[in-house]
Amino acid sequence: MFLQSRRHFFQKGFVGGAVLVFCSGRLFGAVSTMQTIQVLQEDLFGNTTNAPTPQEVRAQSYLAMILQHSRVSQKQKEFIRNGIQWLNEEALEMFHKSYVALAKQQREAVLQSVTDSRWGESFVHAIFAYLFEAMLGDPIYGINTDESGWKWLQHHPGLPRPKKAVL
Amino acid sequence: MIYDVCVIGSGAGGSPIAYELSNAGFNVVVLEKGKEYTEADFTKDELAVSRRDIYTPLLKDEKHIIIDRAEDGTLTRYDGEEYSWSFWNGSMVGGSSNLMSGYFHRLKPNDFRLKSVYGAIEGANVVDWPIRYEDLEPYYTKVEEVVGVSGKVTPHKFAEPRSTSEFPYTSLEENGVTQWFDKACEHLKLSSIATPRAVLPSAALGRNGCSYSNFCGSYGCATGAKGNARAALLKRCKAKIITEAFVYKLDSDASKVTQAHYYDTTLNSHTIKARIFVLAAQAIESCRLLLNSKNEHFANGMANNNNQVGKNLIFSAGGTGQGRFHFEKLTPQQQKILMEPGVFFNRSLQDWYEYEHEGKRYKGGTIDFLFEHANIIPRVMRELYDENGRIMWGEALQQKIHKSITTSRVLTFEVFNDWLPSDHCYVGVDEKVQDKYGVNVGVIHLYSHPHDLKVGKTLAQQARKVLEMMGADEIRSNISASPPPNLVAGGCRFGNDAKTSVLDKNCKAHELENLYVTDASFMPTGGSVPYTWSIYANSFRVAHKLLQTLRKRRV
Repeated sequence: MFLQSRRHFFQKGFVGGAVLVFCSGRLFGAVSTMQTIQVLQEDLFGNTTNAPTPQEVRAQSYLAMILQHSRVSQKQKEFIRNGIQWLNEEALEMFHKSYVALAKQQREAVLQSVTDSRWGESFVHAIFAYLFEAMLGDPIYGINTDESGWKWLQHHPGLPRPKKAVL
Repeated sequence: MIYDVCVIGSGAGGSPIAYELSNAGFNVVVLEKGKEYTEADFTKDELAVSRRDIYTPLLKDEKHIIIDRAEDGTLTRYDGEEYSWSFWNGSMVGGSSNLMSGYFHRLKPNDFRLKSVYGAIEGANVVDWPIRYEDLEPYYTKVEEVVGVSGKVTPHKFAEPRSTSEFPYTSLEENGVTQWFDKACEHLKLSSIATPRAVLPSAALGRNGCSYSNFCGSYGCATGAKGNARAALLKRCKAKIITEAFVYKLDSDASKVTQAHYYDTTLNSHTIKARIFVLAAQAIESCRLLLNSKNEHFANGMANNNNQVGKNLIFSAGGTGQGRFHFEKLTPQQQKILMEPGVFFNRSLQDWYEYEHEGKRYKGGTIDFLFEHANIIPRVMRELYDENGRIMWGEALQQKIHKSITTSRVLTFEVFNDWLPSDHCYVGVDEKVQDKYGVNVGVIHLYSHPHDLKVGKTLAQQARKVLEMMGADEIRSNISASPPPNLVAGGCRFGNDAKTSVLDKNCKAHELENLYVTDASFMPTGGSVPYTWSIYANSFRVAHKLLQTLRKRRV
């Protein structure tokens, strides 16, 4: 499987490590990129019983994997990594804690603030794009578990479906 | 070995040549840059095909430089890789015809006489074609039969003359919403046209019929029903196809092309010798190859001593629009009809192919109507913003997505009108930037004449009225100067005057005895329909001329 064969990536991959975060010009420390993404995806999509959760469709793992792919540009990879850094720096500026350490309401306020900026809106848009790829792409890629994303939206995939992962 | 004919490019422009000449017993080789995929390879994998674009080259390996000219003359340079601006289509055997939707319209007689009928337009290089509709008509018919075009002939005021009364293949199955459309058109006194499609409704020509997969355009066809150049022509001929062969240079003496050089995937160079060379690598890339093929006889590039190669590049002007049908306004039965997947919405309008405004006669165009593409990821992504244009998230977004996708459907329209050729829209070659092969990349100089936008907006207004009459909500349209990369033509226009054109009326280079160009680059003006049918037809026409020439030589 696409995801299972690349588990080693979590230790050393592009967003598998940490980013250094600064606050008011001083180094705050290292923040885990994957932890930030996991919490961010849940905040963005919401957690209800009506739809699958990002965790259920393996959106976090998918994002880590797809950012390794040759068909995702270096510019996009850098943008996602920078976005994680900027999101945390905004959290520090506003509440003196990293994004994942904030309470739900505080994270909401950070999202409101960053999406007022062009980079913030683009960053959230990009995170959503990969999240929905994981939720609505073919399960052959180890995502969209039990076709839960398709079932949620009553979507009928085109036939024939892929018999092997080509990405 | 010396081949009778070497065809460079295996799409709609090259394949009819390979098909006709190899089946007539001539020794034909086709050089194709991409891989060969068969029906078994074509799945509806949205992530691979539509999100990661697996059928086009990586922009970090092969890109274009784009120089955009604003109306005030300001030039802005874009690196295609940096801006993810791709002009590649289907890089594979059969070319982009594998990925087309196959909405097939013929040009009209007046499209061949644009200047004579509608007059010159300031700032545009409008000319008449050196051939007439009557010259191409037999080959449109041939495409209907050999490639396979299905549909129903609809009489209307701008319908082109036909030598046969009906299409050889019956219409594809249609969604019931087409009846709402027909009714709206009746109210508005418009002629609803059943759009002809290059898709077989049932098994014929050694191919399977359509499976109504709901995923046609942008995807390869898994049944062979779509009339792509590989399934329809190359599989049914004896031409030798060399895949993953990137032709980077042509050699010539003063009057003839002598050989083509290509790189394989390991960057080893090979040479092909032939008596006749036919170039059909897509308009931009054909121009680039000619411009990169300089020698002592052609210092500015092959067939370019008059500096016409690359000039008068055109696209299809126009844009898109849409309206949404909500369950709230429909009966349960209508809701069911609306959401039926697979079956097609094949309707178009040509009532404004020509129109008058303030006493002036204008060339208009075609409006195709179709359901929004079934790809689910972009449909969901389009729901991200609220009515104030602010990005949403959380439960409110979840609910909005669910409601929109499961209780409404979008009917879209595409406007096709002429992109006027001009001095400012052309293909060049960058002196410094090279691709992964070490070959200088093409430079696309873009300019859209203001007239194009004016016509496009007029057509979009009419399309919106039809959606309104049908009861659609959220009606909008976007007519822009943005060039559609899959609808590109010109650059090697044909004509009778060697000073102002690259090719003669038979698509042979004026300056060389054995070089032909048969992709869309021959077109001096594009008409107001998608190009593929005309590319196929013209290539069959040139094949017929070539057969006559080759047979004479044999005798």
